[in-house]
Amino acid sequence: MMEQKTNMENIFDKLGDLKSFFIYGQKLIPILQKIIDFMQSTVPLLENVNREIQDSTSKIPKAALQINRVTNATEVATTEILDVVDGVSMDIHSMKDKLQSIKSRMGEDDDLVTLLGMIEKIETRMMNITISLQVQDITSQQLSSVNHLIQSIQEKLSSLVKDLTNKENKEIPSIDLYPRDGTFNADARYDKNSKSQELVDSLVTKRNNSKTSQEEIDKLFANQ
Amino acid sequence: MALKFLIVDDSVTMRRIVANSLKTIGHELFVEASDGKEAMVKLNSDEEINFVITDWNMPEVSGLELVRTIRANEKYVALPILMVTTRGLKEDIVEALQAKVNNYIVKPFTPQILKEKIEQIISSAA
Repeated sequence: MMEQKTNMENIFDKLGDLKSFFIYGQKLIPILQKIIDFMQSTVPLLENVNREIQDSTSKIPKAALQINRVTNATEVATTEILDVVDGVSMDIHSMKDKLQSIKSRMGEDDDLVTLLGMIEKIETRMMNITISLQVQDITSQQLSSVNHLIQSIQEKLSSLVKDLTNKENKEIPSIDLYPRDGTFNADARYDKNSKSQELVDSLVTKRNNSKTSQEEIDKLFANQ
Repeated sequence: MALKFLIVDDSVTMRRIVANSLKTIGHELFVEASDGKEAMVKLNSDEEINFVITDWNMPEVSGLELVRTIRANEKYVALPILMVTTRGLKEDIVEALQAKVNNYIVKPFTPQILKEKIEQIISSAA
């Protein structure tokens, strides 16, 4: 009799637990419904994000190509300017020779001296144009650095697209589209101040003054 | 003895500017290469080359690798090498000097600096 009572008590306890579970479940249902609603509203958003990523990824090679075109166009234009500079420099050189020859025949003449002085100024200016055209090489290295960054962004986005869609990006960019490591200097600057050159000169002097073994030269620079 | 330069740079513009600068300071003899690999071919096939002016950042074989390759060959141990590059950081300069470049110019450069460095190298070799 005692044992039967205990069993009944156990059943009632279990029923009580079950009741509590149902009450808890009733409370949980609206929360679960809210989660489902949220998921349903999020799916189109995620699909949209996925589409945008795929779209952006497909546009990246075009941006890189455009940057390469800028580099090529500036190189062509710089070569054209250098052709003109060479032509003018040759003309100036022959003018200078002719004026020198007139000067040697006629002797000192103020106008001739003035003209020769002007020609020398033009020569210096032509050389300054040539020096300034080094900016093309420096900016092309900066653009290569940007293309290198674009490449790493494209690789990350392609990997993200692959994870989201389980599909490989079919648009494989040309090998020549992106610059390889080491072919450019990301820190290239068009800076005419001579600080870097002064640093070079001091280090070269230091090296040249220590006419020692390579091991000692390495030691000399070990803490630089 | 006239100097015959090997100008090594992947930039057409820079090769032209270096060549023009050499002409301005009175040097007319030069050959060109667009990377370190081509430079080695030219150097090995032209006995008259007696001065190398090289950039650092180039495809195939970089300027620094070119310097190391040249210096590793006993025949070229004393060959003057001038590096002309955009790399102006201390660690870069030190690395180039350790690789045994004779001198170093940071771009942008002037023909005067080029002349000064060439003369320094030639006078210290004499």
